[in-house]
Amino acid sequence: MISSAKNHSHLLLTLVFFIVSFSLLEPVMSWILILVICATVMRTALYLELHKHAPSIRTLNLLALLSAIVLAYFSWQLGILLGMLNLLVLACSLKLMLLRSDKDYFQLITSCGFLIGCGFIFQQGIAFSLFYFALTLVLLMSLATHISPNLPLNKLIKKVSVMGAQAIPITLLLFMVLPLIGPLWQMPASKSHQTGLAEKVTPGDIANLSQSAELAFRVTFDGTIPAPQERYWRALVMENFDGESWQVSPDRKAIQRQYKGANREFSPILEGNYYQYQVIAEPTHQSWLYALDVATPIGASSQQKVWQSHEYQLSSISPLVSTFQYEIRSFPQVLLNQTLSSVDKRINRQLPEQGNPLTKQWVAETRQKYTTDDDFIAAVMFYFSSQDFEYTLQPPLMPNDQVDTFLFVEQRGFCSHYASAMAYMLRLGGIPARLVTGYQGGEQLDSDYMSVYQYDAHAWIEAWHDDRGWIRYDPTAIVAPNRLESGLRNALNEADLLLGSGFGQLSTVAWLNSLRNWLKDVDFFWTKWVLGFDKDKQQDLIKSLIGKITPQKLAMFSLGAVLLIFALIALFFLPIWRKPKQDKASYYYELAEHLLTKVNLHRRASQGPADFVSQVKNKAPSSITEPFAAITDLYIQHHYQPSSISQQQLIISRMKSHWKQLKQAMKKQKG
Amino acid sequence: MSAMQSRIAIWLDRRIPAARRFKLNHRTIFIFPSRFGGLYLFLCLGLFLLGTNYQNNLMILLCYFLISLFLINLLAAYFNFSNLDIQLGKVQNSFAGDNIQVPIWFNHRDKESHGKIHLSFWRHREKTSVDLDALANPAFIALACPQRGRLPLPRVTFSSYFPLGLYRCWTHLAFQSDIVVYPKPVRCPIRLENKSDEQEQHHASVSVKGHDDFDTLAPYKQGEPLYHVAWKQVAKGQGMLSKQFSHETGASGWLMMPKVASENLELTLSQLCYQVMELSRKNQRFGLDLGNSKIAPDSGNDHQKNCLIALALYGKRG
Repeated sequence: MISSAKNHSHLLLTLVFFIVSFSLLEPVMSWILILVICATVMRTALYLELHKHAPSIRTLNLLALLSAIVLAYFSWQLGILLGMLNLLVLACSLKLMLLRSDKDYFQLITSCGFLIGCGFIFQQGIAFSLFYFALTLVLLMSLATHISPNLPLNKLIKKVSVMGAQAIPITLLLFMVLPLIGPLWQMPASKSHQTGLAEKVTPGDIANLSQSAELAFRVTFDGTIPAPQERYWRALVMENFDGESWQVSPDRKAIQRQYKGANREFSPILEGNYYQYQVIAEPTHQSWLYALDVATPIGASSQQKVWQSHEYQLSSISPLVSTFQYEIRSFPQVLLNQTLSSVDKRINRQLPEQGNPLTKQWVAETRQKYTTDDDFIAAVMFYFSSQDFEYTLQPPLMPNDQVDTFLFVEQRGFCSHYASAMAYMLRLGGIPARLVTGYQGGEQLDSDYMSVYQYDAHAWIEAWHDDRGWIRYDPTAIVAPNRLESGLRNALNEADLLLGSGFGQLSTVAWLNSLRNWLKDVDFFWTKWVLGFDKDKQQDLIKSLIGKITPQKLAMFSLGAVLLIFALIALFFLPIWRKPKQDKASYYYELAEHLLTKVNLHRRASQGPADFVSQVKNKAPSSITEPFAAITDLYIQHHYQPSSISQQQLIISRMKSHWKQLKQAMKKQKG
Repeated sequence: MSAMQSRIAIWLDRRIPAARRFKLNHRTIFIFPSRFGGLYLFLCLGLFLLGTNYQNNLMILLCYFLISLFLINLLAAYFNFSNLDIQLGKVQNSFAGDNIQVPIWFNHRDKESHGKIHLSFWRHREKTSVDLDALANPAFIALACPQRGRLPLPRVTFSSYFPLGLYRCWTHLAFQSDIVVYPKPVRCPIRLENKSDEQEQHHASVSVKGHDDFDTLAPYKQGEPLYHVAWKQVAKGQGMLSKQFSHETGASGWLMMPKVASENLELTLSQLCYQVMELSRKNQRFGLDLGNSKIAPDSGNDHQKNCLIALALYGKRG
């Protein structure tokens, strides 16, 4: 049984647990956080001796039982990952209330370490990584305090920081050398942490996304970069419309499953010019990816982890829980007509039966005038450009007959309104059409990569032409041509800009801008080389070190790495570092003593310096005795007389000169 | 002791022979991950699996960082422990049935050692611990001595978990000692027997400085016990005076072991032990005749000790 009163290690552990739990604010349920607060307050009270007794085991068992029931009730909504995480935090908080033995303490330390690791599922930025690293060090501090409670705090801090600093080079070596392997099994992803585009779009949704300045993905182009108006990053294709919202068609999902089951990936025939680029996607906890049309993954690892489906859409095999890199080649001139048109047409003619009578009427009338598909589409586009439509982030609410209200009453909306309305109109006119969501644009300042943010999210449509396949139409481009050429920021009016305060508007201060760009570059480096360091990069690194990889070379390399690690550890503990720091006075005194051993004068262990001098005086000539007596006097003075630093320096310089005298005297003696 | 344990004991005797003083080194130190060390490795494994399955390099980095710390800790723990210099203090002889307190002195060698040291006798349950950062030398460990005779000191196990509790460094040290356990004194009447050829009778009735009866005051001399100081006189301002006690030394004689082997030898020895203690306390001269060995009449602490040792070792080899 160990007491928490004035126990620093318990307090530090409590602190770490509290901070880690609150850094997991979103995934951990609030009632569990309240338990965490209770446990923290309890431990702090015990530490401050405001309270003497921890709650009894019986009380805690009851609490544990109740909490388990509540958690089990919620776990249906939470899913496995969050359920487990919540369970761990809950168990830790109860254990913290109970903490009485060394065993409890060590279990808590281990669990806190694991919780810090779990934090990385949700946060992977540099700032958070440094924060979690600091927390790990505090956790180690707690351990060190637990093992040696009476060591002064500054020494403990020094000890832990030294060990941490020693561990870092070994960590990096291990990270670079130990083979990075692919996932061993599929882990549950957290549904509530999905970010970015959703599988279902109700006009207005993307407008919300547009207020977020978070990064969606970064692109590095090899060679030519497409013009801004060509940067349509396709993510999701939605083919089911219920009169209000668009979503991925259930039929399409069934077809995708069949293809996946048969392992028949869609591989379009590609030719002509292409753009080649590498995408680093931020974690979304969903699996679709971004690419320009018509895309194909390049390189073995990209081909292995990217799946292409029959809507020209790319997705990863498992959800993006951490940054995800893939290499793509896009062929802009290739037509999208390589899929089974019968299936595509059947799915994309589906219409909701109810609602929007005005639109139905308008389409019926217009379609009578324009019998060819091209003319009809042109008429629809003309409608958008001729009427007084407004592009805005704050569309009015349109509860009933949304398309009617939008087209004929309000005439104000965001890209998804335009795309949704147009796709619906085309379908009414008998043309297969579908909604595509993704990102449009991307900014490339003075860096060699392009950043695409959440506010670049966009929706456009595709219409089927029997001769050319799927053709892209973007009604938003007609209403707000600026949107394509210079990005969202310039397409909006003042009021919208104020609303979207998260845009990271360029400040007028130059150094602030350059600092921001520098931070972006650092973040890019972090994402590419730390978060995105994978098997390929590791192999490239090893290749650049040892040249062509052969089994012998690889064996030598691994052996070298292991030896290097051992050499590092040995270096840390070399005897030189372990020698106590001797003061200069003792150093010269010992040198002098050593000189005397040559004339057979030894100081016995029991003999003090003053005693020894008298012995020397009896046995040695004055040429030796005098300097040695002076050295001894100074030595004693240095140790037993309080003196200022300048005085001490004087003493040492005088000792040095006397020591030189002694040395010369010894030489003469011998000579 | 099972066969396995005795084999370990033999191996230990060869590896760490008994000595009075130990400077710990690679021959004497054993090191292995502690139970928490195992849990810690389990944590590393968990982080590795999680990091690999989520393809999360930060988790893998954290895992490797913890593993690196684990490697570094091995040497940190070893060097901290190997800086210790452990020495057995002077052990007081004791009576059977008592606990003796075995003093152990800790010294640092070239650098300070930190953390707690747990001490226990090998294969004994009781543990004590000392904190090297708040050291009160010596540390004591209690050892029960059930019977008279020479007491071989069991190996003492020292263990340390410094710096992070990941490893347990330990050693089993055998200390050279000559602890004699006297028989347990059993109260009985004192039977001093006079031997016919006593020439020592002249010594009788000599006033010897003792501590029974107050005699006179004399100036305090350094080294005299403080409880002899006449504090009343000091308070009156008469200076430090020391009370002098006199003690009538009674007639000397012999404590005899019964010639006929008694049925209860241990009881007889215990009674003799009581008598030796009692006579010494009264500062009386006496001799001890145990049949095969004799100790000539004398008085004083050394004499008492000799007698007690003779009683303790009676009938035992060595």
